[in-house]
Amino acid sequence: MRVLTGLTLVALVGCNAEEPPADTAPPSQLLPEEPAAQPSPARLRRLTTAQYEASARHVLGDQVAMPSTLEPDGEAIGFASAAAAIDALSALGVERYEDAAYFLADQRVADADAMAAWLPCAPVDAADTACVAASVEVLGERAWRRPLEAEEVDALVALWAELAQADSPPTAWRYTLAALLQSPYFLYRVEVGEEGLLRPHEWATRVSFLLWAAPPDDELLAAAADGSLDTAEGRAAAVERLLADPRFEAGIRGFVTEWFHLERLDDFDKDPLIFQHAHPELGPAAREETLQLAAWLGTSDADWRELLTSSVSFVDPRLAALYEVPAPTLEGFGPVTFGPERRGVLGHVSVLSGHSHATRTSATGRGLFVRSTLLCQPVPEPPADVDTSLPEPDTTSPTLRDRLTTHLEEPGCAVCHLITDPIGLGLEQFDAVGRFRTLEGGAPIDPSGELDGASFADAAELGGVVAEHASLPGCWVDRWWVYGAGGDPPYETNEWLAETFVASGHQLRPLLRAMATSEAFRRVESEGARR
Amino acid sequence: MTRPTPGSISRRGVLRGLLGGSAVGLTLPWLEAHASTCASGFPRRFGVFFWGNGNLPDRWTPLTTGAGWEPSEQLAPLLGLRSKVTVCTGLEVKVPNVSPHWSGAVGLLTGQDLDGADEGWSVRAPTVDQVLAAEIGNDTLYRSLQIGIADAECFSYSGANQPNYGETDPFALYQRLFGDTFRDPGGSGTVDPSLGFRRSVLDAVLGDLGRLSSRLGTEDRIRLEAHTDGVRGLEQRLARLQEAPPDLAACVRPEAPPESIPDIDGRIQLSRRSRAMSDLLAMALACDQTRVFSFSHHRALSNVLFPAASDGHHNLTHNEGGAQPEVHEATVAVMEELAYLLGALDAVDEGDGTLLDHALVMAVSEVSEGRTHRLDEIPLLLAGGACGKLVTGHHLRSQGNENVNHAMLSVLRAFDLSLPSWGADDTTVDTGWAPLEL
Repeated sequence: MRVLTGLTLVALVGCNAEEPPADTAPPSQLLPEEPAAQPSPARLRRLTTAQYEASARHVLGDQVAMPSTLEPDGEAIGFASAAAAIDALSALGVERYEDAAYFLADQRVADADAMAAWLPCAPVDAADTACVAASVEVLGERAWRRPLEAEEVDALVALWAELAQADSPPTAWRYTLAALLQSPYFLYRVEVGEEGLLRPHEWATRVSFLLWAAPPDDELLAAAADGSLDTAEGRAAAVERLLADPRFEAGIRGFVTEWFHLERLDDFDKDPLIFQHAHPELGPAAREETLQLAAWLGTSDADWRELLTSSVSFVDPRLAALYEVPAPTLEGFGPVTFGPERRGVLGHVSVLSGHSHATRTSATGRGLFVRSTLLCQPVPEPPADVDTSLPEPDTTSPTLRDRLTTHLEEPGCAVCHLITDPIGLGLEQFDAVGRFRTLEGGAPIDPSGELDGASFADAAELGGVVAEHASLPGCWVDRWWVYGAGGDPPYETNEWLAETFVASGHQLRPLLRAMATSEAFRRVESEGARR
Repeated sequence: MTRPTPGSISRRGVLRGLLGGSAVGLTLPWLEAHASTCASGFPRRFGVFFWGNGNLPDRWTPLTTGAGWEPSEQLAPLLGLRSKVTVCTGLEVKVPNVSPHWSGAVGLLTGQDLDGADEGWSVRAPTVDQVLAAEIGNDTLYRSLQIGIADAECFSYSGANQPNYGETDPFALYQRLFGDTFRDPGGSGTVDPSLGFRRSVLDAVLGDLGRLSSRLGTEDRIRLEAHTDGVRGLEQRLARLQEAPPDLAACVRPEAPPESIPDIDGRIQLSRRSRAMSDLLAMALACDQTRVFSFSHHRALSNVLFPAASDGHHNLTHNEGGAQPEVHEATVAVMEELAYLLGALDAVDEGDGTLLDHALVMAVSEVSEGRTHRLDEIPLLLAGGACGKLVTGHHLRSQGNENVNHAMLSVLRAFDLSLPSWGADDTTVDTGWAPLEL
């Protein structure tokens, strides 16, 4: 368990960088060349829950129901994907993986006819081990994201035969599938490389989880096996195919879910006695809204900073009611245009409620989201031994801005709270659920403020100020890298990718193309070489 | 990442040290059983009862010291168990208080400072429950059990970056402990060929783990070793299920909890969940399925909404004004659940006493006053006395803010561990807390 308290130094450097030429660079211009960089450490990365589910569906089919409980995802440098390269699996986690494997396998073997139709080769009897081997090879390659070694196939066929002998072929499949799904080759992404470079299958897996939030498909595995990925051209072609595929949308959604911690919206904890719009379904709907906007901007090659400035969003009737806009559809999600008070994710319920308390807003929490999540600027932890109480609302201090004055006047508090609170106060016209309001305790709310020298009048302007912030390109590049590679990017690589992002008009595809095809993305340093 | 720790008996610490040198290809030995047994023959059990965000020291500390302590407002729910509960007050977690909540939690339960506060933190050493589990947990189906009521974080660590998460679903815990594989004491083992099949699968998994491990660097190899350890534990559990279960008079299959205990108006039913878990845990201990547990009511920093509270618990500790009546009520509510758990253990008759008498349950929070994250006056209750090893029924007060690690060392030594010291660097102690020891 780790708590995100600060981010990489890259972000600090970004503060001093020149203002990005936001509107001047057409995407077609020549992009900067990749600099030499230190290799990243080789890592073993356990699948996150989302990656486990995508992998299980890939092996067993989209219709299988997912297990309800796995080892909880951790968090490191802001991402479950990074914690998955650090944390060890607990004893309970091992047991849950076993439960999950049988839960999944049982669905597959429940219907003998369907099972036979699904298997690449369905054995006629227990002696038909050649056919079993053929099935194990195909299913194993999908599950382990690489071809199985001959001994690995032999071991699984021997297990199958032992169980078919003791019981029956369907039973044997149940346990053979469970063995595939409990193997560390399924549960971990092995990114240890060879001679300083990821092996073709390791690279294919890293790129596929980056761009599709899913394991490599048969075509990508085939390219890894036939040598296509040994050349820069082959890798570029593979990346191009993944970026053009509809599954790229899932990749964007996977990243944004981790980046913004949208999984937390499953536990929507707002007090329904205070907030009439609070409802258990509101959290998942709010997540869907943000994911749809992010995916739409990414796949349509828009400036991805429109995440912060877009007047368009995608809402269901519940969200439409909260936003006071006409519902675009009777069911599901459709596009709407916000009123002038609301722009981008800083106006989304996902962000506004996700960084509020159960019964009230948090200027500090919302400001921290902007600073650390959107701009990668470190905010120190509060000192452990001070009284952090705020005064109760009363007639002399009706608004949160009034009550926070103490924090901002006390030097010990102000040193940190001046970093976060003025930003969060810009969002005070949205309550803890995200509903627009102009008054608090009968007094008008003043949403104006300043962010690192740029002033804003309200939340809508704040989004634009964050979008133009000099730290943004380096930060967003850093976040994508941590998600994709499981650790911090090399300094030079981050600088280069930030330049690339800016030069291509802040579009997602050019950035991810450069990242996925970079040498830095496939270079790893094994421990032997490090020490 | 982890520096060597004097006095640490962590198995992983030992392994880490060896791997850092030249000895590679080492296999982890399954530890020799080290039973810590009461005179009556019953095993000594250890448990941590954790709750987040502390107490209000002025309303916590009993009004009298010594035997028959007069309960404070916050300890009133424990009145009926007073003769079995020792209240330790005035002790202090001595690590630098650099990270609110986490410094206290790590310092209290590992004896040492946390590792790397600014870029996220980890423990440097196992928590006290896992130190004991490695020693006294090897004869049972489960080396230890983790249970979470409001959330899955239990503050149990097997080592750096090795968190043990808790089961939060009472019905899932019931199925695991008392489902199809459960056999009444005195009967025969489970006759089910699927147990053997599952073991064959785990053998294949262990083969994969071994092959993969040989390609990895030190840190990843240690992670995979933890995974391997978990698979071996599962395999051993399946083997034990095929043997006759321990013949224990007090062991009966408990009633199944409801399949679902839904939230009401967005609030978790803390008490119902906690009590369902307590009943299951008491019987898991009575059936000797485990001897070590961590029971977390809610985690450090938790913003859980108590039934009548106007805000999340952590927010209340910082923002409630005056005498903080809601914070007080929350602490009392937690003590009511502790009383229920201790009562459930005390209701199990075991020979010369009760299960609680044969246990040591340590109730702690990561801070004392939540509002200021104080680490002096750290709340520490010790129930059961580990069958005559530690003082019961007393209020013991430290006069000079003594290091809480002294009390932790007494706790660990109550389980017959020959532990030279506890803590690291400036916090290291090599003597127990004398008032606690018999």
